[in-house]
Amino acid sequence: MKHNRLALACSAILLAGLTACTDTPASAPQAEATPSAAATSATPQPPETCDARASFRPAKGTQMPAGSYMQEIRKRGRLILGTTQDTLLFSSRDPFTGKIEGFDVDMGREIAKAIFGDPDKLEIRVVPRSNRVNAVVDEEVDLAISTMTTNCARWEQVDFSTVYFEAGQRVLVGKDSTVTKIEDLGKRPVCAATGSTSLENIGKVSTGPVPVARADFGECLVAFQLGEVDAISTDDTILAGLATQDPYAKVVGPKFTSEPYAAAVSKKHPEFTEFVNAVLEKTRSDGTWAKIYAKWLTAPAPQPPAAKYR
Amino acid sequence: MTAVQAPPRVALRRLAGMRHSSPGRLQLMLAVLLVLACLAGLVTGLTAWSAGTGTADLRDRAQPLLAEAETIQSSLADADTTAALAFLAGGLEPPALTARYDKDLADAATALTSAARRVPQDGPAGEAIRAVATGLNDYAALVATARALNRQGKPVGASYLSTASKLNRETLQPQAEILFREAGREAEAGYTNARSTWWLTLLGVLVAALVAALLVIQIRLSRSTRRTFNLPLLTASALTLLLLAGTAAVFLHQRAKLTDAVRLGSAPVETLAEMRVLVLRERADEALTLVARAGSGTLETEFKTIRGQVTFDGPELRPVGDRMSTATAQHDGYVTLHEKIRSLDDNGDYEGAVELAVGDETSTAFDQLTKTLDDASADRRAAFDGQIGSAGRGLGSLTVLGPLLALVICLFAVIGLRARLEEYR
Repeated sequence: MKHNRLALACSAILLAGLTACTDTPASAPQAEATPSAAATSATPQPPETCDARASFRPAKGTQMPAGSYMQEIRKRGRLILGTTQDTLLFSSRDPFTGKIEGFDVDMGREIAKAIFGDPDKLEIRVVPRSNRVNAVVDEEVDLAISTMTTNCARWEQVDFSTVYFEAGQRVLVGKDSTVTKIEDLGKRPVCAATGSTSLENIGKVSTGPVPVARADFGECLVAFQLGEVDAISTDDTILAGLATQDPYAKVVGPKFTSEPYAAAVSKKHPEFTEFVNAVLEKTRSDGTWAKIYAKWLTAPAPQPPAAKYR
Repeated sequence: MTAVQAPPRVALRRLAGMRHSSPGRLQLMLAVLLVLACLAGLVTGLTAWSAGTGTADLRDRAQPLLAEAETIQSSLADADTTAALAFLAGGLEPPALTARYDKDLADAATALTSAARRVPQDGPAGEAIRAVATGLNDYAALVATARALNRQGKPVGASYLSTASKLNRETLQPQAEILFREAGREAEAGYTNARSTWWLTLLGVLVAALVAALLVIQIRLSRSTRRTFNLPLLTASALTLLLLAGTAAVFLHQRAKLTDAVRLGSAPVETLAEMRVLVLRERADEALTLVARAGSGTLETEFKTIRGQVTFDGPELRPVGDRMSTATAQHDGYVTLHEKIRSLDDNGDYEGAVELAVGDETSTAFDQLTKTLDDASADRRAAFDGQIGSAGRGLGSLTVLGPLLALVICLFAVIGLRARLEEYR
């Protein structure tokens, strides 16, 4: 009787949204705790201290005034884009031609086209995921378009363009696996790239899957195929590219995070961020975005993510 | 019973008593000569045997082990570079590079099997060999998978290659380096054994004592008798001097040849091996920098450090001076090309940089450099074989003839002193 009443009290407190219930004699509150934890992890966390999706309004359109960073790039003769070379569909190296291509690279080509009138005036620097922010800060690259999530922590160091792609984290497992969502992988090794938000997100899952870091997602697929990890968890976009390379893999579960992709630019050149936003605006309105989407992902293309400005 | 249990004091007293009678003194003299001659003979045999086996071990085990360790190390480095270059070339790998990679793996595997027979299983060298052998299988499997995926146009092939490369550079090559250092240590120990300095010192002392004893005894005899010369003892002395001269000749020759083997063989071979690995690392750094496609990074910094360490004019390399000036020129030529590659890449012409790196010009320049080093190394190995073969000469005969000669010396000592003893019967 006494226990029942205590349990009841606990559930009542839980329902009220309070957390102070240290004595858990009955299993009822624990059973309730699991789905609630899952529910909270499905929304982006920690609570954002800024609006990461909002970028600078492109006041001057695609003009390149004298003294602007765009003029500096013009003088150099090429735009330097930082990206990866193992993210199939977004930016990966074609083994036959040796060229790096994909959705992200085509976005970079649009920006090169806006500066030079020639999309080929683009130099690709491969930047490991763990080094993307630094490469932009140190100006090793003009901008990074590299399946990179815009968030407040990164806004502290770099500026982001408006969102050009909406992704969300899912899970890749073996064809015969019974896993249907990330929570089913409790205590089991799950791979993600060093320095990616995906790796942090795996660590936050309530059932405690073990995050395993590899240099990049291609190396995660190697680890998965060698049986070193049971699953890979990252953005659905990247997983799709990995799954097409491995017929024994499947992508399961709902998107349990929201990963808005944006281009990263050095804080020293806000005018360049504005310029990139102007180019993105143009690709959204004139159908270029849809064309690139259809080329690399599925046709017909959905609506592009709407631009949000500060 | 009592004789057996006689306390040493009694024996000593009897020995001391012998000094006071003439026949007793003669018996003592004979005993001293016999003991010294027998010991000298025994130690001559042992010293020659020890130096002989030491020299043979150096020739047949330690030095070949060093060569194999070097082959393992450079084959691994070369395989890594070749795989990276084949990847850079794009599309299907050029057959020349595939062949080179296959040869590297085969060379490494052969050297491993052979080296495993030359070292104890449980030492650090044995452990390093096991680690490389196990890792080599994994490495070959990863590269094979990378190739298969590459053929199917799957970009994950590149990730397999970089995983393989990491295994090679971070696990296999350091283990191979441990093996190389161990082999170097064994070669050094081999030289120490071949020199057998302790045995030789003991032998020197014994022969000197024998000569001195013969001299003293003959002087005493000539004083106590009217005869100036005791012919058998004189013969024994001559034979002892012959033993001394023969031993000295054999060992002086051996030591001189061992010194030459170090100077003309081992030292240049070891330095050449180090240089070869450094040069291969340069090429690997160049290729992997391009594979990473991230501009000049840490590997390019490593290239610059290594370039500073590559020198072909060290004192060890003087015996191959001509070849080394060629190597210096070839290395300079390669470095010039490398700088061109870097400047192309750093200025945005990645395709141009890859083309130059994989192309005939750079490949030929680099191959010529490694060929010069290979030739120099082969030349020095031949020099080592010549010196070490000569160093072992005479030691086998001395092992047998030394003790025999000592027996003959004993015989003459007995004859020489028995004639004097007979006089007291």
